[in-house]
Amino acid sequence: MPDIRLTVIDPSGLHARPAARFVQAASRFASRIAIQHDGREADAKSLIALLGLTIRPSTEITLTADGPDADEALTALAAELTPYVAAAEPAG
Amino acid sequence: MGLVLISHSGKLVEGLREMVAQVAGEDVPVATAGGTSDGRLGTSAPQIEAAIRSTLDGGADDALVLLDLGSAALSLELALEELDEADRARVRISEAPLVEGAILAAVQASIGASIDDVAAAADGAATMAKLPRA
Repeated sequence: MPDIRLTVIDPSGLHARPAARFVQAASRFASRIAIQHDGREADAKSLIALLGLTIRPSTEITLTADGPDADEALTALAAELTPYVAAAEPAG
Repeated sequence: MGLVLISHSGKLVEGLREMVAQVAGEDVPVATAGGTSDGRLGTSAPQIEAAIRSTLDGGADDALVLLDLGSAALSLELALEELDEADRARVRISEAPLVEGAILAAVQASIGASIDDVAAAADGAATMAKLPRA
């Protein structure tokens, strides 16, 4: 299952408006898409699940996608989160 | 589907409508009923009825109604009594907190979710975490 690790760089974290845009973008894909943060995971197609992660600035998130359009979804969603995120440092 | 927002304050629901549009986009119809007919704080059954009818007549299959508190529920009941059975069946009342519930519901509605999923998203607002876990 492909994934992308990202660091949140927006000073407000992943707040309501970008989170809503993200949910709307995620819902266009057939794949199951999740966002992992601080040991928890949320359905990327649910705003309440996403906001419930309380994603703060300078923290890391991982997007995962499972399904027929997984790779395409991750590429599009990472782009959707620009300029709120940057690529995370490669895992050590 | 569309949202109907009811508050004792017209300013509150107008501001909330702006927030909903900015977070969820303009595609989800939002009707409001706030304040009394003479501009005081309170709720008005005719205003609520008009807001529900405008949603149902405006092309939405269903309407999810969110309200603030107290007599808003009584005014809503009076408004619903004016609807025929078929229209009443298209209206769902939410127990969700008004502000958070409206925004969460609107985002789920904007992605084409069913009324069950939209209502569940609104309900989730009551227990949604706002601060990071300690």
